[in-house]
Amino acid sequence: MFGKRIDYTGALGFIAFMALLPLVFGGNYLIGVLTVSVIYGIWAVSWDFMSGLTGRENFGHSLFIGVGAYTAGFLNTTFGIGGWWSLPAAMLMAMLFAVVIGLPTLRLKGPYFALAMLSSAVIMQRLMLIFWEQTGGEEGINGIEPLIRSQLGFYYFALAALVLVTALLLALARSHWGLILRAIRGDEATCQAAGINITFYKIASLVISAAFAGAGGALYAHYQLQVSPQLFAVVTSITIITMVYVGGMASIYGPVGGAILLVLLTELLRNFGEWRLMIYSCTLILILFFLPNGLIAPTWRRLKARLGRPQ
Amino acid sequence: MNKFSALFCAACFAAGLAAAPAAAQTKPIRIGVPTSMQLQVGRDTQDAIQMAIDDINAKGGVLGRKLEMVVADETENPETGISAIKKLTADEKADVLIGGYTSGVTLAQLPHISAAKTIYLGVGAASPSITAKVKQDYDNYKYIFRVGPIHAGNQAKQVTGFISGFVKDELGISKIAIVGESAKWVQDLVPVLKKGATDAGADVRLTEFFDSQTSDFSPLLAKIKDSGAQYLIVILSHASSDIFAKQWHDARFPIPYGGIDVKGMDGDFCDRVGGKSISEIAANFAVRAPLTPKTIPFFDEFKKRTNRSPVYTAFGANDAVYIYAQAVGRAKSTEPNAVIKELEKTSYVGIPGTIEFDEMHDVKPGGKGPNFLFVQWQDKCTREVIYPKAQRTKAYITPAWIKK
Amino acid sequence: MLEILIHGAVSSAIYAMLAVGFTLIFGVARILNLAHGTFYALGAYGAYFFTSHLKLPLFPAALLAIGMVALFGIFVEKVLVRPMRRSQLAVLMITLAVALVVEQALFLTFGSEYRNVPAFVEAKFSIGGVDVGGQRLLALGASVTLIALLWLFIQRTRLGSAILAVSQDPEAADYMGIPSDRIFSIVMALSAALAAAAGVLAGPFLTVQPTMWLLPIVKAFAIVIVGGLGSIPGSILAALMLGYAETVVGYLISTSWTEIVSVLATLLMLIFRPAGMFGKRAAF
Repeated sequence: MFGKRIDYTGALGFIAFMALLPLVFGGNYLIGVLTVSVIYGIWAVSWDFMSGLTGRENFGHSLFIGVGAYTAGFLNTTFGIGGWWSLPAAMLMAMLFAVVIGLPTLRLKGPYFALAMLSSAVIMQRLMLIFWEQTGGEEGINGIEPLIRSQLGFYYFALAALVLVTALLLALARSHWGLILRAIRGDEATCQAAGINITFYKIASLVISAAFAGAGGALYAHYQLQVSPQLFAVVTSITIITMVYVGGMASIYGPVGGAILLVLLTELLRNFGEWRLMIYSCTLILILFFLPNGLIAPTWRRLKARLGRPQ
Repeated sequence: MNKFSALFCAACFAAGLAAAPAAAQTKPIRIGVPTSMQLQVGRDTQDAIQMAIDDINAKGGVLGRKLEMVVADETENPETGISAIKKLTADEKADVLIGGYTSGVTLAQLPHISAAKTIYLGVGAASPSITAKVKQDYDNYKYIFRVGPIHAGNQAKQVTGFISGFVKDELGISKIAIVGESAKWVQDLVPVLKKGATDAGADVRLTEFFDSQTSDFSPLLAKIKDSGAQYLIVILSHASSDIFAKQWHDARFPIPYGGIDVKGMDGDFCDRVGGKSISEIAANFAVRAPLTPKTIPFFDEFKKRTNRSPVYTAFGANDAVYIYAQAVGRAKSTEPNAVIKELEKTSYVGIPGTIEFDEMHDVKPGGKGPNFLFVQWQDKCTREVIYPKAQRTKAYITPAWIKK
Repeated sequence: MLEILIHGAVSSAIYAMLAVGFTLIFGVARILNLAHGTFYALGAYGAYFFTSHLKLPLFPAALLAIGMVALFGIFVEKVLVRPMRRSQLAVLMITLAVALVVEQALFLTFGSEYRNVPAFVEAKFSIGGVDVGGQRLLALGASVTLIALLWLFIQRTRLGSAILAVSQDPEAADYMGIPSDRIFSIVMALSAALAAAAGVLAGPFLTVQPTMWLLPIVKAFAIVIVGGLGSIPGSILAALMLGYAETVVGYLISTSWTEIVSVLATLLMLIFRPAGMFGKRAAF
């Protein structure tokens, strides 16, 4: 269908743009910012897959991120295991946490589920601080080895990971999985009446979401070369939700743009010195107020509609 | 290409143009300052560096080149800190970095500073792990220096001296309690302190850590009272020194306190808490007293320029600029390896004392080097040096409600 | 033991003031107002500003601060929240953004240092051998009084009945001629005023710095969920539980564990009895 072709062109264009940007402008600073934004993109997309589709806003996404990051950190520093094992290990740990936390909490609705996840993340953060002798406390784990030494190389790897994750989750969202998840958002009782095992789907989507969040966390650990309890913080979860919001809820691809936009914005605003965060927050209010459906996804849809108009 | 990317491209291009050097010889030497811009320590770091830069530039600069400063906010978040370092080194192409405050952030920044092969002169972070790396992995971490006597182990020694020399010998108190916020540098410091105090004959009745975010100290204060201690040693930095002072005062707590209190070093601390910190003793390593010929002129000039009293990062930051400038002068180049060799030979009369570096690039304490002064808040929010006895400016006072 | 009793009561009182306001606006207008902690912060900063910069005496300064925060609450509700009301997440996000903007404004205006809110009562009292600051006792007493007054107001006055009606069914209330929009504003003003009052009362002995809004809102959120969204008695009870849980843990174990205990309690309550203690829906 014509719409699909525009989608593919758009995606390819975006990937090419992201790949070429550091080559044109260069500098480790830009590469650094882009890499971090790409990792945030992975986190945002993974959040959107579960919470955007099912409507169960997860205010504790940082839990899975932190678990993945700390797993990578521990494996690398305490056990000396090489970086490439961190990724699957982080994913497994995050998935485990998702099952353990998800089982008792997924039957909760709306703000209750949000708070339960938030509480779990806060508890993990506290535990990292309380057991400072093992976890490094506030200073976290330092001295993690980089996964790929070349800055540009790491960036391309992260970008590839983002593309892979987004493509995967988009495919899932467009399949009958996505249909069921959206149906769950609409009316759980009806789904159950129709014989769908909603518990399985809810937990599975949380597990998938957590897996990629954890993988992103491991990537983060091997890039920043340190992990700290701040990864578990409420602020992290909220930042990611904001990115999804700006990108366009439930679109899966929108959050990619949201993440990159917001990370770039925070960095660009450095020139404003002390006013940086103020301008950032005001911009946020303007976006939230005037673009309640987000910026990226609705813009793309409008662009598509205009392009798709027959000649 | 969406609007935003276009804007970003334009911004990048403009920034690139702006940063382009005019001609190699007159290119200024750029000092990158990663610091927590919204905090007092950050503001004072910047002001102190600017003071030094203005002074050096007025005298002709370094190797005929002027100095200039670029600041990047590291907040108290490692992620922002790492991107600040990348901005300063890769984007702004700073020749040297001076700054720092939170140990966690500095530790996170170290590998990235090392990768950028840029000299870093730390002025605010106390963790021993920062300079330990210099010895463990010299080739990669030789760039790291610390320009203030704030190494946690050193602080522990100074406080031990205070406990044995003053609390025990002069006040005759041997039962003490030690409380500190649960930051890693404190957690590293307290065992050393406890051992030192016990070896000096003190009876440490209680050792406790509390969260930096604590806003209600009643449980802690109750525990301290129950322990039978008669003097309270505190180790506070990020934590709420203001609230601690207020709650201690409001409850008319029967035990005087003192120790390391970073916020308690602020010139307006006592006023901020409505005078409730009177009789608290806070360690400072410089006060407006003739510790060296530079001390009083620095305090006065700083006050004139900013109308504030400087906090501890200001001393290190100001000294760091001169130390770097002199090292570059001696090395006749800004090439890091050459400058590092000269930095290691530094013997500079700074604000708190003479600055010389040991094998871990930390300041050598004791002797001519900077020593801690234990300063007490007294009536009308004035500050008097209590210990060491040689520098005492006035007699010690007890809290108003304690009969002595 | 007495220590725990008294200090636990003070903590619970402050939490109760925050939670009741939060649950009030949710119960009536279904608004999860993440800027609630901001009202608390502005109350404290207002009192600080009016006393130290404008040199007003304490009592008028406090009233002025509370009044201005109430007006600010109405502004936030009318201008920023009402257009977003269709989506709870949208309301959450925009109130969060408001909180961030105010935090930055406070940073830029007043700096990052802790500020001093003068206390109404400076004296220390000794109750059964326990030393308590006078201001804390005042906070306890004022909190109890204010919440009791609020309760009476809702139960006994016409405006109170209108509020109850709107909370049960806004549409039906509209049909009956009750202007639900105006009621939302009034309730927001009350909620903000309560939070501001908490700030004025607790400011003298708790933190007053720009990031002070975050922790109270997280706690209030937890308390309100545990007590049952929209239920004032539930919030009061949950506030007592949380306040005492924290105090007990603080005294008996260590202050590092207090946060975890209250959060864990919240999590367990959610897992085992998600509707909270007094269930959902508009029953005040």
